[in-house]
Amino acid sequence: MTETNRSAAGAQEKGGLSRRQFIAGIGGLGIGVVLGGGITALLLPDDVYALEASQGYLLVDTKKCAGCETCVISCSLAHLGRINTSLSRIQVMKNALGSFPADDVQQNQCRQCPYPSCVEACPVGAMHADPETGVRLVDEGKCIGCERCVEACPFTPSRVQWNFEDKHAQKCDLCQNTPYWDEEGGAFGKQLCVEICPMKAITFTNELPVQTDEGYTANLRNNHYLEIGLPSDDEARISPKERGYSAGGTAAQAASNENKG
Amino acid sequence: MSEPKYGYAGKILIVDLTAQKTETIDTDPYIEWVGGHGMASKLFWDYCEDKTVESTDPKNVIVCATTPFSGAIVPAASARCEFTGIGPFSVPEWYNRSSMGGRLAGMMKEAGYDAVVIMGKAEAPVWINVVNDRVEFNDATDLWGLDTFETQERIWDEVTHGTPEGSWYELSGSRDGGRTAQRPSVMCIGPAGENLARVSCVVHDAGHVTGQSGFGAVFGSKNLKAMSFIGSKSIPIADPAALVRLRMEVQEKFGYNIDEGKVPGAPGSPGAASTVLDTSPTVARAEGCRGCFKNCRNLFPGGVGNELTCSAGTYFTGSGKIDDTLEVYSLLSKYGLNGYEVDMPVYLNNLYKMGVMGKGKEIDTDLPFEKFNTVEFMEDLLHRIAYREEIGDDLAEGIARAAQKWGRWDEDTSSGLLARPNWGYCEHNEPRAEVEWSYGSIFSERDINEHGVHNAVYNTSIMAVLTGAEPPVAAEDMAKQLADQSGLDDPECFNWSEEGIYSDARVREIHWNRAYGRFWLQSLGMCDWVWPNFVSRKHTLETGSTYGATPEYEVKFFKAVTGRDLSYEESIQLGHKFWVLDRAIWALEGRHREQEVFTNYVYDVKTTKPFPLVVHEDGKWSYSLCQGRTLDRDKFEDFKSRFYVHEGFEESTGRPTRGCLETLGLGFAADALEAAGKLGA
Repeated sequence: MTETNRSAAGAQEKGGLSRRQFIAGIGGLGIGVVLGGGITALLLPDDVYALEASQGYLLVDTKKCAGCETCVISCSLAHLGRINTSLSRIQVMKNALGSFPADDVQQNQCRQCPYPSCVEACPVGAMHADPETGVRLVDEGKCIGCERCVEACPFTPSRVQWNFEDKHAQKCDLCQNTPYWDEEGGAFGKQLCVEICPMKAITFTNELPVQTDEGYTANLRNNHYLEIGLPSDDEARISPKERGYSAGGTAAQAASNENKG
Repeated sequence: MSEPKYGYAGKILIVDLTAQKTETIDTDPYIEWVGGHGMASKLFWDYCEDKTVESTDPKNVIVCATTPFSGAIVPAASARCEFTGIGPFSVPEWYNRSSMGGRLAGMMKEAGYDAVVIMGKAEAPVWINVVNDRVEFNDATDLWGLDTFETQERIWDEVTHGTPEGSWYELSGSRDGGRTAQRPSVMCIGPAGENLARVSCVVHDAGHVTGQSGFGAVFGSKNLKAMSFIGSKSIPIADPAALVRLRMEVQEKFGYNIDEGKVPGAPGSPGAASTVLDTSPTVARAEGCRGCFKNCRNLFPGGVGNELTCSAGTYFTGSGKIDDTLEVYSLLSKYGLNGYEVDMPVYLNNLYKMGVMGKGKEIDTDLPFEKFNTVEFMEDLLHRIAYREEIGDDLAEGIARAAQKWGRWDEDTSSGLLARPNWGYCEHNEPRAEVEWSYGSIFSERDINEHGVHNAVYNTSIMAVLTGAEPPVAAEDMAKQLADQSGLDDPECFNWSEEGIYSDARVREIHWNRAYGRFWLQSLGMCDWVWPNFVSRKHTLETGSTYGATPEYEVKFFKAVTGRDLSYEESIQLGHKFWVLDRAIWALEGRHREQEVFTNYVYDVKTTKPFPLVVHEDGKWSYSLCQGRTLDRDKFEDFKSRFYVHEGFEESTGRPTRGCLETLGLGFAADALEAAGKLGA
């Protein structure tokens, strides 16, 4: 057994779950509200690091996202004033040869974790929760570049990134600091990815969302989605035809709708 | 330190396959050519020493050029990569063009390159791996023979060193050497390109291809299986806040609201497959090219039919089953075949029904025509073409050359059985009526495939006109609106009556049309499904105005991205310059006035299908169905003469004159034409 494995086994014996497993499990086991307004609702494994909850979260409809990467590019534009998909704090990965909805497009946004291992891992306090909003932030001036935060994030890909051009860690701040965007961002402002997504596949909530294996997800598709020939059910498995939209999105239907209107 | 060149990566990669060497040059000297087609044509001019060689000659040069908008969030304008070079598909071969969207152009720039020039021929199959500044030639022996999907998946694994999907991986092995979670953007050929099929494409992802060019065969002739790009470099933007603001503005004013359903008649809506096919029996997501606000493609379960688009998506509809249509579309992409030979299978079946083609017939083939409306037939047919087996050896040349070989070309293009109006290309829109398309094509090198005017006039009105309803934009208003937005200021430029299509106003419209296309569509990569953005249906519903985003927003985006002031009028002048440089290349290749004629059916066979366009007849503007139309030979020849003179071309040959070239700053082309004895007098 390796040293790492021994440590993990020890942690499991002590608390039932290792800290990392627990934190990852928050994203993977469908545990809903665990922290809100500072109330601890679960018995936490030893050493789990809890902070005041973030007062804002991004939710993505993984079936509605079109993989256009507009959010990705906009994120780097608004924060850095330049285009670089590698320096975007929201990551969309497309496999155009993949299968809908299983493995064709991945959307990976920071979850503003209730138990932010990135913050816990930072040895100098650069990673922190904003005192006013609870949003997990990086104080870039304090960052020493050890990348422990990057490694500590339990998700793939890590939602904390090493900004290899400006030499500091960075992560989603819900647009709290976007010098190249005219709007007021942050947990009580707007978020550019939400505003600019042409599919309206990203939304924002002040409440800690329910998680699934895919993260913070939501079904943001209404019945109009069927009109353009695309599925609106949660799993995106029921065809528009089965829902009575047999001519979904054809020119004829469009004209017919227009004439009615 | 000099100011960054906003919108540019800053370098151009020159690949010499013969020597297996690369060179990097500064983009700076080419910035006056803007990007995309303009930049590619100048690079082709500079690097292709003999522009009269055949397309598969090692001396042919392929240029792939991004634009300042590539990788950005300029709506429906951030993805296209322009490809130019001598193309095998047209009849005869010309210096030709195509473009593709997807993830390629943006990633080329993030790897550090605004353009790639591909020269020479490798001794054995190679693929080229570009990772930021590192460019490697790799043995492609193991990839040769694989289809385009297999090839891309193999290269993805190789470049990412098997990194699990979506994980970050370092590009240089050092902390500050850049890292990405993206897949490499790969362009490659399938068996069709390897076997030098003129109907082959270069393919990227599932459905982004260099259609209508035959460039797959040029890659094949150079033993180039694939190029892969991955990078982590930043692209500087002059005014990022303005770019974001403008994007939001256009999206909100002229885009769709996905939560409010389909915008009536708006082309390029999410999941465009559903605008040409009824995809409702299946499920899908809408999918878009990088930075797009339309997301007109789809991704389907099992990946079958992914990124299907428009006409190529209707390549096979014979069985009436959407799953079959999707399967055949993917097969085209896998083989790397051009989906715009869309009329070819039907033509073959007609020859079969006529008793001309079949086993033991004049055109002898054992193609199983009894299974024509099945996927099985299509699989057999496409396999034969990609591998040049049996009748496929003829068809790999393209149906135009095949028909010539079979001795059927003259008869079938005279009757219209084979509707190929210009340069061997499939009829796209009615060439006898929608002349901005047909004239634009015959004065250029291919089927122009620019939908802006067509979308405004035809798509906006077709359903209403056919059902007897009031068109959303009255005919007179449509002509006025197009005149206003194009800057031509004369509604007669958009009069498709039997007089209007030969008018002096139409001469000016064709001039504008070619220039707008060359500049905004092909040199800035703006998608022709959205730009020029004439009629806004959403806008209409909300404000009463039917005016779309053109011409206000094109120049605003240009300023936000590049920081350079450019008036709309200057953009048209530059577009004209780029097009005239192409005319100079075609003149070198031997282009002559007598070749710029349509096939006979365009002049001799009357139109039957209703094709609504705006006409001004007897003092009234209306929509005409344009039935019973032919093009008049003499009137077209007279039009051609006036058009040549207007453009500064010699009337008897169509070749640019020295005066025309020098006025545009193309004196170097005048010298070359003069030396070759091809300068217009």
